[in-house]
Amino acid sequence: MTARAATLAVAVLAIALVLAQIVYPATPLYHTWQYAAALALALAVMIAYANGVRRGEDGTFGRRLLLALAGAAIVDLAGLAAGLLGPDTAAVIGTPGTVTPVPALGAAAFFGVADPAVLASGSGAITLRRRGTAEIVLAGGERRLDGESLLSLEPRPAAFVEAYDGHGAHLTITQPTNASFLSPVLLFRDHQRVGAFDLPFDTFATPAQHRTLRALYFTPQQLRGFAHGGVTDATQPAVVLTASDDAGRPLGITLAASGRSVAIGGVHVRVTLGTYPALAIASAPPLWALVLGLALFSIGLVWSALRGRAGARAGAQAQGT
Amino acid sequence: MRTVLVIASVLFLSACYNAPDPGRIAGGGPGTLAGAPAQSFEVPRLGGGTDSLARHRGQVVLLNLWTTWCPPCREEMPALERFARENAGKVVVLGVDQGESASAAARFAHEHGATFPILIDEAQQYGRAYQGVGLPTSIVIARDGHVVRGIDGAMTIEQMREAVAPALRSK
Repeated sequence: MTARAATLAVAVLAIALVLAQIVYPATPLYHTWQYAAALALALAVMIAYANGVRRGEDGTFGRRLLLALAGAAIVDLAGLAAGLLGPDTAAVIGTPGTVTPVPALGAAAFFGVADPAVLASGSGAITLRRRGTAEIVLAGGERRLDGESLLSLEPRPAAFVEAYDGHGAHLTITQPTNASFLSPVLLFRDHQRVGAFDLPFDTFATPAQHRTLRALYFTPQQLRGFAHGGVTDATQPAVVLTASDDAGRPLGITLAASGRSVAIGGVHVRVTLGTYPALAIASAPPLWALVLGLALFSIGLVWSALRGRAGARAGAQAQGT
Repeated sequence: MRTVLVIASVLFLSACYNAPDPGRIAGGGPGTLAGAPAQSFEVPRLGGGTDSLARHRGQVVLLNLWTTWCPPCREEMPALERFARENAGKVVVLGVDQGESASAAARFAHEHGATFPILIDEAQQYGRAYQGVGLPTSIVIARDGHVVRGIDGAMTIEQMREAVAPALRSK
């Protein structure tokens, strides 16, 4: 393989590594020293080739390739800067129906209202608003480049809790340990190790009945995977509910399937399980640098190829005469 | 070659830099809502029909979130009723029961002689939107539909007068 071909291969690889930040965002790899080292090495190879060209090592064709390599270097540097200097990926978790400031974006995130149907279908949306600019609505698998940030939604387990007393009267749900005290939506921010599983859990209370309930979230796979008492035909997620009174005395444990009412500790509880999005903010190379770099790379390659062909034709004609 | 090595070393060493992580950000309670547009939800109203905050746009509103099981809410209720009567025509007092059945809210309202409108918010939408960190929670809304102040905890009638005064002064 010639130095020219090797350098071009390295340039293409560097561009692919940088574009991966857009295609597969929010991956910790981009903030590792190995990723930085790979891009730095690719840049060093391109600069070394350019130095050789300056000394006349690859003739006229090499000089024409410099435009393409300049483009690749711009993309490489943009990716390197985003990986090294950009903040680590952050997940902004908000309770449905609330507004949360996002200083990193200079914006406020409006977390869309969610009822049991929205959670079950996973169709929660987040709107970003900032003064003087159009709002950004993120829903489903949508991604948006916003300056040097790539915004996307990260679905997380969520549950809508409804509780009733023995007479069927609706009960207030509170979350004394969470910032969203008056929300009946559990977002399972904490985890607990049970056997081989790392399970999300959350806690809520029904103060009118003096009950505190803890909900441990199981995926269908985890339900099936329990060695003893596993739910072999589980196709839907479920929560294991444990209840206690104000003094912390345990009042029972039960498995609650999504949408089914269960009685525990004298309270009838219906938990609708699904997902609600968190706002994932990943650093990304600036769009202008990518566009400029890729344009220069493409133009440089085409220009080199056309001139190369013209040169070959001229050479053949000269040989013929 | 030396130039290349220097450039590569500088780029590589800059990997030591770590930008601050925005991390998880949580809401900050009702006290942080001043200036924000007031959110509104259409919910059943005690006595029949539905009502919402948006229907009272153009008036100063004192939105009070409460429940029947909350002792401070019970203590605050006489002052709230007195304030509503004292400011009839100037301030709309909207009581919003959080998460309970209409029958429980009706019993409570009757026991305390509450005459102001009471909304039944079973899904606790107002509690979520106004970031209640306890009960009762009161929100003062200006005529233009923006939050003037959010207050956590029970208030005396003097504190209620003081809380709505800026909203009454503004156009």
